[in-house]
Amino acid sequence: MIHLTGIYKSYRVGERDLPILRNIDLKVSAGEFIAIMGPSGSGKTTLLNVIGCLDSVDAGSYTLAGETIEHATDDELARIRNRHIGFVFQLFNLIPRISALRNVELPMIYSGVSPVERQQLALQALQRMAIDDRADHAPNQLSGGQQQRVAIARALVNNPELLVADEPTGSLDSATGSEIMNLFSQLNQAGMTIIMVTHEEEIAAYAGRIIRLKDGEIAADDKRC
Amino acid sequence: MLIFFLDRFYQSLYALKDNLRRTLLSIIGIAIGIAAVMAVGAISKGGNYLIFSELETFGLNSLWVSRDRADKDPNRMVREGTGISNNDYLALTADCCSAVHRISAIVYGTRGKRNIIQANNRYSNAQLQGVDFSLTTIANDVIVQGRAFRSRDISKRRTVAIIGPTVAKDLFGEASPLGREFRINNRKYTVIGLLEDKSRDFLASIGSAGGQDANNRILIPFTTFQQMLGNKKINYLQAEAVTQVQAAEAAEQIIAILKRHNGRNFTYKSETMASYIATTERILDGVAMIGIIAASVSLLVGGMGIMNIMSTSVLERTREIGLRKAIGARKRDILLQFLLEAVVISTAGGLIGLTLGTAASIVLSELTGFPLAPSFVVIVIALVVSVAVGIISGYLPARRAANLPPVDALRYE
Repeated sequence: MIHLTGIYKSYRVGERDLPILRNIDLKVSAGEFIAIMGPSGSGKTTLLNVIGCLDSVDAGSYTLAGETIEHATDDELARIRNRHIGFVFQLFNLIPRISALRNVELPMIYSGVSPVERQQLALQALQRMAIDDRADHAPNQLSGGQQQRVAIARALVNNPELLVADEPTGSLDSATGSEIMNLFSQLNQAGMTIIMVTHEEEIAAYAGRIIRLKDGEIAADDKRC
Repeated sequence: MLIFFLDRFYQSLYALKDNLRRTLLSIIGIAIGIAAVMAVGAISKGGNYLIFSELETFGLNSLWVSRDRADKDPNRMVREGTGISNNDYLALTADCCSAVHRISAIVYGTRGKRNIIQANNRYSNAQLQGVDFSLTTIANDVIVQGRAFRSRDISKRRTVAIIGPTVAKDLFGEASPLGREFRINNRKYTVIGLLEDKSRDFLASIGSAGGQDANNRILIPFTTFQQMLGNKKINYLQAEAVTQVQAAEAAEQIIAILKRHNGRNFTYKSETMASYIATTERILDGVAMIGIIAASVSLLVGGMGIMNIMSTSVLERTREIGLRKAIGARKRDILLQFLLEAVVISTAGGLIGLTLGTAASIVLSELTGFPLAPSFVVIVIALVVSVAVGIISGYLPARRAANLPPVDALRYE
């Protein structure tokens, strides 16, 4: 489903180009659960942003669900993110002044779902995350784990093929963290492709495949099942 | 399409509610701007009405012709006299000129040092004018009691008078002056008409109106006046052009006849109300323009207020912008969201300003008696301007928000 070939990306630091991703070749099939690991500065978040169509690359090609990404315009990327990808962040990134339900409705505003249908779908997504009893609560009235459930509901509400998560348990205690990871495992078992960045081995252990980056290159690619 | 728009609108309202105090301050800024522009508009309109209502007291189609005393030709300079005789006048009244609708001879002067006007030991210092029967019509004089002059009053040199309200009060107190008698230089006159109270306060206050107090006038037949003065001079002519635009033409026609009769001895000059009106309009337009520019500055400041809070809002919500982009918002979605916020603020301000401005205009209308309430066009313009202010001042911050790269925006602390 995902096919990266010869990905190269660098940042300009002063006079020099500092390569952040080099020679990345990566194939991901539908239904995989992948953890990207590596020391800080190894480029794991940048790789995740590239996969999530949030960031551009300097060289290489990328196809996602049959769509060529590297030449897509900003608006096309926005549509691809909206239809194909769900995002989960370390800091949840819920909009503070609106209710959990309205937060979950957001992606559907940009895909043009009617308000009535939107509300139903958002409520269903919250139900699947077992957080529908908090639908009317503002994010600051929710615990970290509850907020992340709302964020996952938001990520799933447009039925994407791919879930991209950047340190999804990074702001949670370990009990809540494993709760979220169990949710991920269930989603994966139901067929969802998940790519997640983490620096914790015990979180990575939930994944079926662990990609280790070092200095912007893939150092190891362990498939366990 | 409507749902699409309402959606965006809703997103904007949430953000505004979140920063209610800041939003209200910006709304007030715009409201003051719009109200100020409208108030200045109403005040200048009021000024217009005021001045025109006074100019009207001379007759809007009026023109004046007299001997040009600034003529420096030595041969003509030594000539005595007004340059207009009863013979000239006869020719002028005989349907002479196509652009002239009515014409009246005007005679003034004193017998001895001054004219003594009195009735039973009460005196008046009124200005005495000898006129033809057409003058009250030409000068827009309304006779509230009694009647105007008739041609027989003039031809028979009757000792009848039409007096202004100040004269009536000075000579007869509060009682009706109609049919009462008084004396001018010891000759008895009968009051046949009372003139309406005419305000020329404003023109008088700027030293105009020829120093005349319209309410302190006594009109008598010019023939009677000439008899009193013992000559046949006409001091000047006041005429009414067929239309306002023909005033200059009318003056030329009158002068042409006067020149034909007396061209060797006199030259003539004319003034028209039309030219006074043009000058007045130029001045009023200039004053209104300055006022509107001054008031627009407050609108500009209001717009800058919106730009300021929108910039702050974009900065504060950088992560939100990043998130919205990550989940599928295109550039134009973000642009529209922030533009709508700015337009909601400016339109709310515009509506409040419009209400304040309209209220002020209505109060001003009540105080002055002039119709100063804003027209439909003014209301539409005020609303269009408020929306435009929102779009213009919201555009730069909104574009900055729309162009934020999603990765950087999400990482923003």
